Amino acid sequence: MGFIIRAATLEDCKDISRMILELAEYEKVSDQVKITQRDLEQDGFSKNPFFHGIIAEVPEDLKSKEGHTKVGYALYFYTYSSWKGRAVYMEDLYVMPEFRGKGIGKALMSKVSQLGLAAGCTQLNFTVLDWNKSSLDFYLKQGCWDVTSDLGYHCMRCEGVALEHLAQGDL
Amino acid sequence: MKFNICAAKPEDCKDIARMIMELAVYEKMPDQVKISYKELEKDGFGPNPFYQCLVAEVPEEHKSKDGHTKVGYALFFYTYSTWKGRTVYMEDLYVMPEYRGKGMGKALMATVAKVAKEQHCVRLQFSVLDWNKPSLDFYLSKGAEDLTAKEGWHFLRFHGIALDNLAQEAP
Repeated sequence: MGFIIRAATLEDCKDISRMILELAEYEKVSDQVKITQRDLEQDGFSKNPFFHGIIAEVPEDLKSKEGHTKVGYALYFYTYSSWKGRAVYMEDLYVMPEFRGKGIGKALMSKVSQLGLAAGCTQLNFTVLDWNKSSLDFYLKQGCWDVTSDLGYHCMRCEGVALEHLAQGDL
Repeated sequence: MKFNICAAKPEDCKDIARMIMELAVYEKMPDQVKISYKELEKDGFGPNPFYQCLVAEVPEEHKSKDGHTKVGYALFFYTYSTWKGRTVYMEDLYVMPEYRGKGMGKALMATVAKVAKEQHCVRLQFSVLDWNKPSLDFYLSKGAEDLTAKEGWHFLRFHGIALDNLAQEAP
């Protein structure tokens, strides 16, 4: 199937927002999505963007059942390892179900890694839910390793009231 | 003991590099540290810094056995959640052993949280090794959630040859 991989633009935010919701539904947490198309526009396309996006697009004659030509995306940003230096974190990787198995997911991920290497990064990091076996298998087959299983790192988070208290120094 | 928490300056990078190595020794992985103070200077203090850093400093009369007055640091950067928006990731939090128990770790973390709130971030995220019980207990007692234990999130990583191979397949 012919598809192209290109940098996301402001106009893509509507489709990215749609696909974010689709991915959240797949991860069984669609009620967790609080950001809007407008947040994406402001946070991704201002002077100091919080993230960068890549879109997978198919030609008009191959559009989805609902008429979409933007059928996959990857969202990433630059991070830092105090041991290894510059790194890239892939926050989301998603391809609409009817377009899977055609190499689009792999192409999106490869593009992120290519851009990361060009920016001087030595790592591409991301997270996967342990029950998401098909994704885990896909990633492990591409040569990545599971830092949580191998080294024992746990993802931790402070948000809401806990973050408020922390910021106020209420320790 | 009096101490100050302030934003790191380029000249702090030698001390930060020293403390990064001390933290790696504590985490039993000193051979994993590949960057030096030079990368820290280049990557933290240009027009598009890859990270932000806070340093904890004590007055000269309280300097360490080895003569250091910079005795702790927190290294962090901005990230993005496609569900919740702007977030902060705290890559490192460290206080030299002889200065622990005086509130510096808490003060460093609270300052990261304060900066996060000022930038309208809704989450503070970080990782902890599963055997590091004192740190895990500290964070959990401050309201942090262990997402690996609770929801099954695993960190995955591409680096080295696997990253090169992946990048070469980019369209």
